[in-house]
Amino acid sequence: MRTRRAREGLRRGRILAAAAAERKPGARRVPVKPAAANGRYGRRQASSVSHPTITAAPNLDRATIGSLIADLDRELRARPARVTIDLGAVEAFDSAGIGGVVSGMRRATAAGVELKLRGMSQPMLDFFSLVSVQRLVQPEAKVGRPDPVTRLGRLVEPMLQSARAVFELGTQTAHELLVGPFRGRWLRLDRTAIEVDHCGAGALPIVALIAFLLGLILAMQAYVQLRVWGAEIYIADMVGVSVLSEIGPLMTAIVLAARTGSRNAAQLGSMVVGEEISALEQMGIRPLAFLVAPKVVACAFAAVTLGVVFDVTAIAGGGLFAWAIADITLDAFGAQLRTALRLSELLVAVAKSATFGAVVGVVGCALGLRVRDGSEGVGRATTGSVVLGISLVILVDAVFVTCQRLLD
Amino acid sequence: MDLAAILAPPKRRTEDLVRAVALSTVFGDRTVLEGIDLAIRRGEVFVVMGPSGCGKTTLLRHLCGLLPPTLGSVSVAGHDVYAASPELLQHLRLRTGLSFQGGALLGSLSVLDNVALPLRENTGLPEHVIVDTARMKLDMVGLLHAADLLPSSLSGGMRKRAAIARAIALDPDIVYFDEPSAGLDPITAAEVDNLIMKLNKVFGITMVVVTHDLPSAHAIADRIVVLLEGRVAALGERDQVWHHPDPRIRDFIERRLSAEDRRGMDVVAHLEV
Repeated sequence: MRTRRAREGLRRGRILAAAAAERKPGARRVPVKPAAANGRYGRRQASSVSHPTITAAPNLDRATIGSLIADLDRELRARPARVTIDLGAVEAFDSAGIGGVVSGMRRATAAGVELKLRGMSQPMLDFFSLVSVQRLVQPEAKVGRPDPVTRLGRLVEPMLQSARAVFELGTQTAHELLVGPFRGRWLRLDRTAIEVDHCGAGALPIVALIAFLLGLILAMQAYVQLRVWGAEIYIADMVGVSVLSEIGPLMTAIVLAARTGSRNAAQLGSMVVGEEISALEQMGIRPLAFLVAPKVVACAFAAVTLGVVFDVTAIAGGGLFAWAIADITLDAFGAQLRTALRLSELLVAVAKSATFGAVVGVVGCALGLRVRDGSEGVGRATTGSVVLGISLVILVDAVFVTCQRLLD
Repeated sequence: MDLAAILAPPKRRTEDLVRAVALSTVFGDRTVLEGIDLAIRRGEVFVVMGPSGCGKTTLLRHLCGLLPPTLGSVSVAGHDVYAASPELLQHLRLRTGLSFQGGALLGSLSVLDNVALPLRENTGLPEHVIVDTARMKLDMVGLLHAADLLPSSLSGGMRKRAAIARAIALDPDIVYFDEPSAGLDPITAAEVDNLIMKLNKVFGITMVVVTHDLPSAHAIADRIVVLLEGRVAALGERDQVWHHPDPRIRDFIERRLSAEDRRGMDVVAHLEV
């Protein structure tokens, strides 16, 4: 009951205010012919003081608002002191219709033209009682285009911050794994096993397939070149050395970044969004020990084992090609391999794989934990984990190769 | 068939707009709803109440056409929602607003773009009219100042209000609210209640509100249904339900622990005296 009375009071107040505005000294009333008598809506009506009036159609809605706006724009172009929209004929309206009127008011205000509404019905006043025209008509603060330095900064800053987050999480994880045991904090083997199952065992089929086909392809390419000099036996060197020292660790790391790095980023990102990380922290469970360290160790372990699987399968593929097409016996192929490969290269390959795996693991976790803005952020982190993961792996590879050559 | 005529503007509160007949829902081997019969009248505020886990949200999803029930039917303005042609279903959806419990705003769009989205996708209006209509809806829920923010930087109450603005963007005939005041402070909750009532009075929008907030339900409801364990325990005018004699409903309304739920007291049987 009270609500209704209050509402009526509000209406009355608004109507009185509107009437007062109409009676303002100096604001002369423009005689308008009734719209219905005119028979057409939206037309500019003759007026003695050159204040044009636009008459709204009986249905002020999505269908008709376009023509009202067009009429208004035409009037505004002439820059009159004042334009009136006559709403007296309106029988039905919807939000889009009112939205169009508000839009017109905003455009008129921006053009420095006073826009008045006439003949507003009670339901329409009720509608306007829910909003503040003053607020709506205010011109929006235009955000200017930032200068080139700012734009460059906005582009580069997230990248630098991501890199910093990766570095920080990497050092924290290393600290946790190396110093933690001395303080009684051991790696969570149960959780590590679950992760290894996903990123290691789960990736076996795809790694084996890629390795086998790549071994065949490498042998084929080598065969085409070496046949010219009758040196087909060096297929074993080509395949063995390139797979063991470069292609094996690199391809495994790329598969790992695509499968597991992205998974870690998406998983941890969603956990941040769902406040699960905060909940863990609050319960006194450190996400670093509970989530990150097992994932990183699992990635490093999986990279090494998958790398070995890759090397063996790729060399098997190469051997198969050599035996089937190039008429090299498997014994000869094996003997040639033994002369070509050194144990030190195998050890370097294992070290490389482990580092690549750890990098991929840390990148995924770091970007996932950095997510702040909902599903959009999770998507960005997932993409970023693959891109940054692979880029960093290549960078680390370059460092490895440089060090190796310097030591030789 | 003239689709627009199906949902003519609201005039009376006696006509049934939404009708659920013998709704039953089974998830796996758990029965969530059992034999729900109810009708929502045009232009009223209809409140679905009940304790957590009694099937309120499931019922809401059935009513607004998101989840087909295991048994029974839902009809809107006489048309079976789950047997409707794709065109009719689309039309019914455009005439229906739904404000999700957590807001369900698209995280990649600003608040203004979230509200403008249904207008952009479903109407051919000029862009500036769309923007001004969306800004108007945001002003109705008191969020005009947050128009350019992303949903992730809004508080829970602001997200909920933005969701309401989006739900009413297309001037629907019926709006469903899932827990509109849950997780809000009492003042913001009262503001949301006030907004629901204003929209109902001014536009005649039929409101279906799922809530377990008793003061809010009492403030806004024309009629109430109380669900207990997946069944309709009471259905009627607000005051009628509020003074319902059923002891389970008395317990719920008066916020008492029900007799069988006075946990801990059964240890008395094991005490040696």
